Amino acid sequence: MNYLREVFASRELLANLTLRDIRGQYKRTILGQLWSLVNPLAAMLVYTIVFRFLLRAAPPPGDPSGLDIFPVWLLCGLLPWSFFSSAVMGGMGSIVGNAGLVQKVYFNRIVLPVSTIGAVAFNWLFEMAVLVVVLLLVGGWHVVFFLPAVVVLMFFLAMFAAGLAMMLSIANVHFRDTQYFLGILFQIWMYLTPIVYPISIVQSLSDRHGGILGTHITLMQIFETNPMFQYVSAFRALMYDQRIPDWQDIVACILWAVAAFAIGLAVFRKNEKGLAEAL
Amino acid sequence: MSDIAVSVDHVSKRFRLYHERNQSLKSAIMRGRKSVYEEFWALNDVSFEVPRGSTFGLIGSNGSGKSTLLKCLTKIYFPEKGEIAAYGKLAGLLEVGSGFHPELSGVENIFLNGSILGMSRKEIERKRDAIIDFADVGDYIDQPVKNYSSGMYVRLGFAIAINVDPDILVVDEVLAVGDQQFQDKCRQKFAEMKRDGKTVILVSHSMDLVEQMCDEAAWLQKGDLKQVGPADPTIAAYLDYVNGPQG
Repeated sequence: MNYLREVFASRELLANLTLRDIRGQYKRTILGQLWSLVNPLAAMLVYTIVFRFLLRAAPPPGDPSGLDIFPVWLLCGLLPWSFFSSAVMGGMGSIVGNAGLVQKVYFNRIVLPVSTIGAVAFNWLFEMAVLVVVLLLVGGWHVVFFLPAVVVLMFFLAMFAAGLAMMLSIANVHFRDTQYFLGILFQIWMYLTPIVYPISIVQSLSDRHGGILGTHITLMQIFETNPMFQYVSAFRALMYDQRIPDWQDIVACILWAVAAFAIGLAVFRKNEKGLAEAL
Repeated sequence: MSDIAVSVDHVSKRFRLYHERNQSLKSAIMRGRKSVYEEFWALNDVSFEVPRGSTFGLIGSNGSGKSTLLKCLTKIYFPEKGEIAAYGKLAGLLEVGSGFHPELSGVENIFLNGSILGMSRKEIERKRDAIIDFADVGDYIDQPVKNYSSGMYVRLGFAIAINVDPDILVVDEVLAVGDQQFQDKCRQKFAEMKRDGKTVILVSHSMDLVEQMCDEAAWLQKGDLKQVGPADPTIAAYLDYVNGPQG
């Protein structure tokens, strides 16, 4: 309880550090905040050309929305993913990146990873708003009914990312390998998550092979253990299909978020006192 | 209301001197354990009390543990043994301009740095003019701080820190920077704090400064507390020790 009060007392610091990151990020650029859109757009272009036109990936049309536009389908999964990966990567480096501050001033260390994620989330919010406008333009106006649910889901994904970032930021202080390792892991992780290809491909592959290596475990079941699988499915259900996600996905998203955050917080608290020395 | 501002009670702080620091996983795995290190006590059973309203100097040669002690006081390090209790709001000034963002303006950095030092937004707004006034950077206050001269940078940082208005201010050798005029201004500010019954703890290598400003002093030598008490005899003892071999 005491700790919560202390964290609450740091809310202004948290806001100021987040603002520092947001304001400082695109200073002295001509495009400013628009740069935050360039990355996802470039990725969208590349993945659409490679997966839609060269590899002929064809996700089923949105049900019941009837949307059948590959780039839009792609963005509904890609934006949450790119938020997640930049939030975890950024939060992980936040303690090492602010070493000067940690060694000179006492404040609640938890604001460092959390404010970094806040700044990334700000960009994400901006990107998602643009995506919603696009959805409205291409005829998916039912998305407005699901917007509150989208915001709640975004919150849980941010919580999940924050939990991982807290753990990894500590690990990164002790072993700087963490950041390089994670860079590679995230690349692999992205392709293990049905973002640029539809789940149906995995499903049909899984059905054809049945149990792997003589067990009853199917390929699909292995894919489903990936938390980002559920998050991406839930975002696609809400925004592209425009329906309520499967309840298993909802429960999984919430559980992953709560568990990661609780463990992350516990690890962080246990180690925060030694940070100034370890850096 | 006690008349003690800070009590340092049998404080010991241990550091690990790494022979080969494993900051990469490879070295950790190759050696099969985390690191090879030697223990080293930077502070050894140090106890003293700082009276409320006094200006207290910490003196000692390089590597005597002064800065470590300051970092323990400001909760950046946590001692392995013993306890430190501060009665009142304690603020540390170990570095000026911590967390300044070079691309942000002076005013924006006042808000940023102020909140890092624990001030609320309202408080900063109230003290904004006083800070700008003390920093004396003129029209540069709306410029990004990367365009500041080093003197202006330090003045702005110091102006913010001094306006945190703590009951106890812990200062590390920051007065050495800045020109004569600024140093005088800082001394005046310290004198003012003293009049208001605030406590100042400062580290300095300038014995003149300590002699001038401090009522009491503590002399540390290689982590041990050699002497503590009224400033003049403590300084004299320290100087005797330093000049001993020659004279």
